[in-house]
Amino acid sequence: MAAVELTDLRKSFGTLDIIKGVDLAIDPGEFVVFVGPSGCGKSTLLRMIAGLEDITSGELRIGGEVMNGVDPSQRGIAMVFQSYALYPHMTVRENMGFALKFAGIARAEIDRRVDDAAGTLGLGALMDRKPKALSGGQRQRVAIGRAIVRDPKVFLFDEPLSNLDAELRVHMRVEIAKLHKRLQSTIIYVTHDQVEAMTLADKIVVLRSGIVEQVGRPLDLYDDPANMFVAGFIGSPKMNFLPARIEAAEAGRVTVALASQPGVRLDLPAAAGTAKAGDAVSLGIRPEHFVAAGTGDADLAVEVDVAEHLGSTSYVYADVAPGERVIIQQEESRHATARGRLVVGLPAERCFLFDDAGRRIR
Amino acid sequence: MNLSRLAGDAVQYLFVGIAAFLSVFPFAWMVISSTNTSIDILGGKATFGQAFAANVGNFFAQVDAPLVFWNSAKVAVMATVLTIAISSLAGYGFEMFRSKTRDRVYSMVLLTLMVPFAALMIPLFMMMAKSGLIDTHIAIVLPGIASAFIIFYFRQSTKAFPVELRDAAKVDGLKEWQIFLYIYVPVMRSTYAAAIIIVFMASWNNYLWPLIVLQSNETKTITLVVSSLASAYNPDFGVVMIGTILATLPTLFIFFVMQRQFVQGMLGSVK
Repeated sequence: MAAVELTDLRKSFGTLDIIKGVDLAIDPGEFVVFVGPSGCGKSTLLRMIAGLEDITSGELRIGGEVMNGVDPSQRGIAMVFQSYALYPHMTVRENMGFALKFAGIARAEIDRRVDDAAGTLGLGALMDRKPKALSGGQRQRVAIGRAIVRDPKVFLFDEPLSNLDAELRVHMRVEIAKLHKRLQSTIIYVTHDQVEAMTLADKIVVLRSGIVEQVGRPLDLYDDPANMFVAGFIGSPKMNFLPARIEAAEAGRVTVALASQPGVRLDLPAAAGTAKAGDAVSLGIRPEHFVAAGTGDADLAVEVDVAEHLGSTSYVYADVAPGERVIIQQEESRHATARGRLVVGLPAERCFLFDDAGRRIR
Repeated sequence: MNLSRLAGDAVQYLFVGIAAFLSVFPFAWMVISSTNTSIDILGGKATFGQAFAANVGNFFAQVDAPLVFWNSAKVAVMATVLTIAISSLAGYGFEMFRSKTRDRVYSMVLLTLMVPFAALMIPLFMMMAKSGLIDTHIAIVLPGIASAFIIFYFRQSTKAFPVELRDAAKVDGLKEWQIFLYIYVPVMRSTYAAAIIIVFMASWNNYLWPLIVLQSNETKTITLVVSSLASAYNPDFGVVMIGTILATLPTLFIFFVMQRQFVQGMLGSVK
């Protein structure tokens, strides 16, 4: 395992800037997940670390050594691809041992490493099959096995579970977590699925448009998002944002009133000097943080549109005002009807406040 | 089964039957004629005769068959190997490497398909004459080894080649030529099979250019020899048919051996 350091890393295609200066330090043995919407540059950043994309400027270090321009095979990395990228004309054994064969490693040593990895991943019975004779999950395990046999300093995973069905994805997610626990290796993992990010990561890197929006532990990002984008991206269903206005601001506290229901007022702490009376802001509250009417710091009346009952929990899709939608998560609320008025409580300590540029002020 | 469906099927079978007859008839006529004398053939006899052995004997008496077939095989194999090697590399390169001028250069390559061979014959002949290659087999092979059609065919097929395989191979430590040789070629084998059949058949059956370039009997290929038998003052058509059958056999053999890959290659190589 090795540390990975990215210093002002940039990537441009002609005049188009894809990665706009990423600074990041990954500790040895850490499981880091790059997460962000499609086109945010997370896969490009991973490919730059792998050596599959040139670095336009900045510095990449793996294990303390500068790796800009170093051949992918010399970086001490192994990569698992979204489509598995198994060589279709080779058997499982040949696929797993191919890189070692090219590295000039002795046949006996290749067999030992391949058999070890196959044992770890339960691939023993599949070694003489070709990829087309394997299921999606088996192919994914072979792809991981191919990475393991190289004994890399850093594992790179590029959306490895996105081609699997929901059940298999959960199973493989657990397998990857177990694998990390056993190998204790540095892993950089790209996904757009924030559930994968939350469950696997030691550290999440949230990217948007080639810029790192926030880096932190999963629950830190959930509890303490730096801005409206991260607040909306981390958590499922996503955080609700309600347009509001600052009514009064004094000594690190503000009073906000909802734009669509001015009678709904909340008194919230705010960083000093970040807001003044009259400012337009967004009040953020996660679906799971609404409380029963009368038990919060203010009550909010909504018109229920659709209710989804999942058994242990229900999601109520409602309108605060025309076009202003919220999702409310309620435990044991099978009685919620598909339509009708619902009043819920807003607990001030669970609410976030963002200015009109999306910066968090509470 | 209702009547309209029956009628539809009948029309389909009729159409397929006519197409099959048109395809098979020349070959059947050739085989039948090879067993008849020239007089019978000219008389329109369409049944098997007794002259097969005599025709074979006459053919081998008139033609230095081992030399002629050796010449044809040499030319066809050289052309196939060189054309496939160069054109598949070009197709791979055009698809895999991004550059500002790539599509412009590729369009120019495709434009050469629009130039008829008749317009190229004289300049090519002069080039070969200046290079001292007239009456050599190299002169037949050289003009076709960067085939625009085969480059086009390989580039289109390469679009189905998973780019992630190339990335995985790079991470595994392969250089570009090794990726081509150890990953691309085996993965695209159906495309190669189809291209081999196309190029081999075209080269084996090539007539006009060898007719211009080859001048001595020692270098002539089977197509030229069969043609000269047919255009003799008093041609023996039974012998001509024997020559035609023998000239057809290698391409038939190649086709039947590689038929499955050929069909796969035409449909799309990567599964």
